[in-house]
Amino acid sequence: MSDRLLEVRNLTMQFGGVTALSEVNLHVSEGEIAALIGPNGAGKTTVFNVTTGYYTPTSGEVLLMNESIVGLKPHKIARKGLARTFQNVRLFGDMTALENVMTGADSRNKVGLIGSMFGTAQSRRDEENSHLKAAELLNFMGISHRGGQLARNLPYGDQRRLEIARALALEPKVLLLDEPAAGFNPQEKVELGELIKKIRDAGFAVLLIEHDMSLVMKISDRVTVLDFGQKIAEGTPSEVQNNQRVIDAYLGVADHAS
Amino acid sequence: MDFSIVVSEFASLFLDGIVVGAIYALVALGYTLVYGVLRLINFAHSEIFMLGTFASLGVTMLLGYTGFEEPIGIGLFLLTFILITVVAAVASGSAAMLLEVVAYRRLRRKGANRLSSLISAIGASFFLVELFRLLTDSKDWDFPRLLDKNSLFEISSAYFTADKLVVLIGAFGLMFALDRIIQGTRLGRGIRAVSQDEKTAVLMGVDVDKVIAFTFLLGGVLAGVASAFYMLFYEATKFNVGFLLGISAFTAAVLGGIGNIRGALAGSFALGLIQQFSSAILGYNWRDVVTFLILVLVLLFKPTGLFGEALQRARV
Amino acid sequence: MSISKVSMPKFNLRDKFGDWWEGTSRNQRIVFRVALIGFFYILPFLDNPVFGTTESDFSSVLFYPMGMYVLMAIGLNIVVGKSGILDLGYVAFFAIGAYTHAILGISFGFNFWVNVVLGMAFAMLAGVLLGLPALRLRGDYLAIITLGFGEIVRIVAINVNFTGGAAGLAGIPAPPNFFGVEFLVDDPRPFYWLVLTLSLLTIWAYMRLTKRRPGRAWEAIREDEDVAEFMGIATTKYKLWAFVLGGAIGGGAGAVYASQVTSIVPELFDLNVSIMILACVVFGGMGNIWGVAFGAALLGYFPEKLRFLSDTRILFFGLLMVVMMNIRPDGIIPRKKREKVYDKNTGKEVLR
Repeated sequence: MSDRLLEVRNLTMQFGGVTALSEVNLHVSEGEIAALIGPNGAGKTTVFNVTTGYYTPTSGEVLLMNESIVGLKPHKIARKGLARTFQNVRLFGDMTALENVMTGADSRNKVGLIGSMFGTAQSRRDEENSHLKAAELLNFMGISHRGGQLARNLPYGDQRRLEIARALALEPKVLLLDEPAAGFNPQEKVELGELIKKIRDAGFAVLLIEHDMSLVMKISDRVTVLDFGQKIAEGTPSEVQNNQRVIDAYLGVADHAS
Repeated sequence: MDFSIVVSEFASLFLDGIVVGAIYALVALGYTLVYGVLRLINFAHSEIFMLGTFASLGVTMLLGYTGFEEPIGIGLFLLTFILITVVAAVASGSAAMLLEVVAYRRLRRKGANRLSSLISAIGASFFLVELFRLLTDSKDWDFPRLLDKNSLFEISSAYFTADKLVVLIGAFGLMFALDRIIQGTRLGRGIRAVSQDEKTAVLMGVDVDKVIAFTFLLGGVLAGVASAFYMLFYEATKFNVGFLLGISAFTAAVLGGIGNIRGALAGSFALGLIQQFSSAILGYNWRDVVTFLILVLVLLFKPTGLFGEALQRARV
Repeated sequence: MSISKVSMPKFNLRDKFGDWWEGTSRNQRIVFRVALIGFFYILPFLDNPVFGTTESDFSSVLFYPMGMYVLMAIGLNIVVGKSGILDLGYVAFFAIGAYTHAILGISFGFNFWVNVVLGMAFAMLAGVLLGLPALRLRGDYLAIITLGFGEIVRIVAINVNFTGGAAGLAGIPAPPNFFGVEFLVDDPRPFYWLVLTLSLLTIWAYMRLTKRRPGRAWEAIREDEDVAEFMGIATTKYKLWAFVLGGAIGGGAGAVYASQVTSIVPELFDLNVSIMILACVVFGGMGNIWGVAFGAALLGYFPEKLRFLSDTRILFFGLLMVVMMNIRPDGIIPRKKREKVYDKNTGKEVLR
């Protein structure tokens, strides 16, 4: 139990009359790549939105490093170690790639407004730290050469990488990736798979939402399946792939390539 | 603070509150409809109203009424007033459609952020106010008294005069007509569709540009009619009349729940009443502060308004 | 975000200047800066038919509207331009600063400088009181509330006794002599130099904030507030700070203004002022401090220079806002940063 970095227990989320999530249980352990799959509308992104604090759950518990984070504001949760990317890439378009990543790195620094204005020594150190860290992460993701370009001018693939770099800058315990492979061609997906493994090897646990089954199969250690807001299966990729309930939910999507 | 007035003049204050509320309602509907389809506050809507007041005035000037003659008979009055209303409605309606094209459409097509649209709207609003300030020489312009305003009958302290009845009957008639349009016509359904889910509406073959243009037209027409009623009741206008009336109408729309038609109506009557009663108690010059305060309080504590619509979504 | 090609650079004052600037040495830059600042200080002596303004005396115009617009635009830029918070009631802070100096100066004889600080403090307090509840709201509603606030301040000033009511306050003291420079009623030049100095100091402080974490945080909030929150930025705190700092600058400007005009009435602090400053920020390029300062100076200058613009100022500004938003939303000097494109393999900069 103690190696469970993120744990979601009996999570229920209701919006007015609609029940988006019903008694969902899942967890992410140290050093693993976990996947969250399910047909469209199953509630996967809602899980992300609730765990990161955008919504307060109707009932249930969310634990990060064994500490309850229900009811905390998103920025506090981010600082506690939960970072995410988005289904539709949401970068800070008019800022450069480097600056985008620095906003994530900034959150790990202490000095705020007053310090910055008076140019304290600490603020200058913080500034250098953010800069260095951001440059390192761009390098790690293979997009160093994009550092000085505006985020909105980057090609799509690099934008996705940038989004991940920005999330990593928060030094999260768990990284939540929301459909990171959307819009990629098969070659790019393979590269992405390698990248995610590299991220895991660097010490970040990963939870990803993905539609591409082959990608999920190749890199995940464990898969959880949602349908209509409920967990219907969990296990290794091959276990889940052969689960009849899962097959029914997807209506035979075993060869699905998005 | 004089509370005794509330008791002695209750019926009168109530009646006036409903009449003013009816005028607000017609303008508030414009704000609410546009918010429904665009998720944007049409800042310049108040100037569309102001323009209508001058159009109404223009008709009377063309017809030769100077306001110093005897009030005209009922039959002639009705004909004249209908003409005034139609002209004002056409003027405001077309101005509203033009406004949409000039200030909003391009930004909407580009997918610009809301800040840009809002600034564009504000610019348009101020442009119109200044334009009319220069054209009308910053003066107050009086509207001729076409109708005998003697009291027709009384209930308690409330004097029912002909102009109030015209406003009430006209406004309610128009609200009914609007309801028919929204529920029964193709464009009306389009408005409801776009308000609920624009993407799906497009997929269902709704011409969004046309729907939006129609929404602005509707809002403008309503404001035009409201301006005619306003002139009948208050008998004066000025280049900046739009500002305060706009704030009141907008507050009414928010009070009822922005994006919600029934809400706009309820909010308008509620606000009309609140204004009348608070003016009686606190004095007239605090009326606008009270209105602002209501706006602030509603937005801070119950942003969904009386009818509780979610701020992001709208239901028409 | 959609797939986009790397954009071809369009003609852009900023980049042209940036190209030249990069080619200069450190000493050249110092000389340039000193010369430029020196130029601004000697402006009042350059009054001639070419530069000079037709409506009123050039030095007076340099103080107001030009100098005041620049200072206030810098303040509003933090709020609107950098952070994306639409404040339509900015004049309220200006009014609070002005009335603070007026009341404390006339009735209690407080020193001008004390009043400037107090004016800023009261403006900041107002910013907090308004901002705490209001900044939770989304764009349009926030804008309306701030507009309401601006109007309420004005209406209160008209109706309340200690602000002098509709008649306002007169006999506002001027700043004390400063190393022999006297602030006299009929000489606007020292006041202009005062505003110029304050503006330069404010820009200096602004640069320190924006080149570092707060600047990035504000821009992130403007770009996508929700995502900024997910990236660990305490958006409420930063928005409040932007609002309060902007208010402080407005308040300071108000105190200075009051000391020069020596009498103030509530009508001076109406919605039009808020709109004019907003137009400056929009025209100059949202978020870009140099553009905003330059734009504010231009918008302050031209209506004074060209008579036909003088009476129709608001008309012109309103039209300008519509046109700018639709055609050149980034302003005359855009905030687009200089993009450096590097070759992927060699790591060297690709020159355009």
